[in-house]
Amino acid sequence: MIRFEKVTKTYAGQARAALDQINVDIEKGEFVFLVGTSGSGKSTFLRLVLREYRPTSGRVYVAGKEINRLAGWKVPGLRRQIGTVFQDFRLLPNKTVSENVAFALQVIGRSRSYIDKAVPETLDLVGLDGKGDRMPDELSGGEQQRVAIARAYVNRPMILIADEPTGNLDPTTSVGIMKLLDRINRAGTTVLMATHDAGIVDQMRKRVVELEDGVVVRDQTRGGYGLEQ
Amino acid sequence: MHLRYVFSELGQGLRRNLSMHVAVVLTLFVSLTLVGLGFLLNEQTKEAEDYWGSQLQITVFLCTENDPNVKCVSDVTDAQRDAVLKVVEDNPEVAGHHEESKQEAFDKVKKLLGEDLFEGPNPPATAEAMQETVWIELKDPKEYEGIVSAVIGLDGVSGVRDLRDELDPIYSSIDALKYGAWGIAIFLVLAALLLVGNTIRLAAFARRKEIGIMRLVGASSLYITLPFLLEALVTALIGVALAATALLSFWFFVIDQQVRGKIRITPWIGFDAVVGAVFWVTVLAVVISVVPTLLLTRKYIKV
Repeated sequence: MIRFEKVTKTYAGQARAALDQINVDIEKGEFVFLVGTSGSGKSTFLRLVLREYRPTSGRVYVAGKEINRLAGWKVPGLRRQIGTVFQDFRLLPNKTVSENVAFALQVIGRSRSYIDKAVPETLDLVGLDGKGDRMPDELSGGEQQRVAIARAYVNRPMILIADEPTGNLDPTTSVGIMKLLDRINRAGTTVLMATHDAGIVDQMRKRVVELEDGVVVRDQTRGGYGLEQ
Repeated sequence: MHLRYVFSELGQGLRRNLSMHVAVVLTLFVSLTLVGLGFLLNEQTKEAEDYWGSQLQITVFLCTENDPNVKCVSDVTDAQRDAVLKVVEDNPEVAGHHEESKQEAFDKVKKLLGEDLFEGPNPPATAEAMQETVWIELKDPKEYEGIVSAVIGLDGVSGVRDLRDELDPIYSSIDALKYGAWGIAIFLVLAALLLVGNTIRLAAFARRKEIGIMRLVGASSLYITLPFLLEALVTALIGVALAATALLSFWFFVIDQQVRGKIRITPWIGFDAVVGAVFWVTVLAVVISVVPTLLLTRKYIKV
């Protein structure tokens, strides 16, 4: 589903590579944690998957497409197969919960009937049934992150990317979010999650890819946050 | 495509950046009006040149039956006309020439003074009373003595009109006004371009969160750009509407209602000239607003 072949990414004006000759292969339906300190290359990894950047060298394949060769006008098509969740939720404050989720479908031209069916279904799935008319600022942090997950998942993407989704949440709320991501993964969506949250990684026992200074230093199935787990 | 979303974004965008949009509209209005006025002056010069001849033209009048020139005893004969044309064609100072019949001359007079004057049983002039003419275009406005002296003594020639000394200051003044209007318009168009650019920058900043989400969920570039394009088009069209109103008012109240009746030395521009001016002003406005929008949205909201 996602494959990095000898991928190097060097930003303009920087001597050191953000990613240096890395090889990673993520199969369809996997749940992968991407761990590492700040500046280790996690964000660059995710941005390459989203084709926000192109690699300096090497090849990146996402959902069967080589992103280096993907024409600019085909990028939106790729992104429709990827859902993205961030630490800071990125909800539109002037839209209700339902409108925030529907927005993701409206802007890619989905029909009204599809939207009317998919939005309540997805809100129900993420545990926000009955809260569609609330404004984002009326919700707790955990609930806001659920809205963000609903928006990322409402188009049923093949891949869900989560960049520190529990970074702003307390441990109890984080567990709820992880259960939700796990459910989405079990339904067939590949989940790639960058995190600093050792507790969650240790608890979930999923595959762990650890980056350090742009290099993969560990790729462990059913791993923990630390090395000796 | 959800056009309702696009139009609601358009409405929000126009309201959010109202003062900037007003600035763009006013700058466009003034600059487009000046460009349009320059166009109208240009058309007016053409009208005058059509009647009086340009700075490069002299006119040879051929004899008529009741000619004031005593040398003329009858209408110019075919042989005399051919001889005059041959001299004209062979002269090295001449760039080109065309003939004007009595009827064409009469039509011009009717256009200048109004058709109504020539209707009824006793018109002040008839086509028959007009003079046939040969309009000569010179290669160099200073080199004209050879051709004048060559034709003036020919049989069938009543006289030669050389109004270039009289016409020159008039045409120069119109040209100065035209280029002055266009010169000022260039600065205002530049100001309008910068304002359009700034408006887009502000709009992109105000909508950065929506744009970020649209990019992430895979909205097409067109969908993201459309509200910006429509915003630019709406402001451009309001500017065009104001400029068109100003040009039309100028033509109607100044040219048509005042000058046309009082100053009958030249035909004056008609409504078709205003339509032409509005057309070119519209094209210019769309280019001024849409081109920077397309360029800047590519820069600010790169997908």
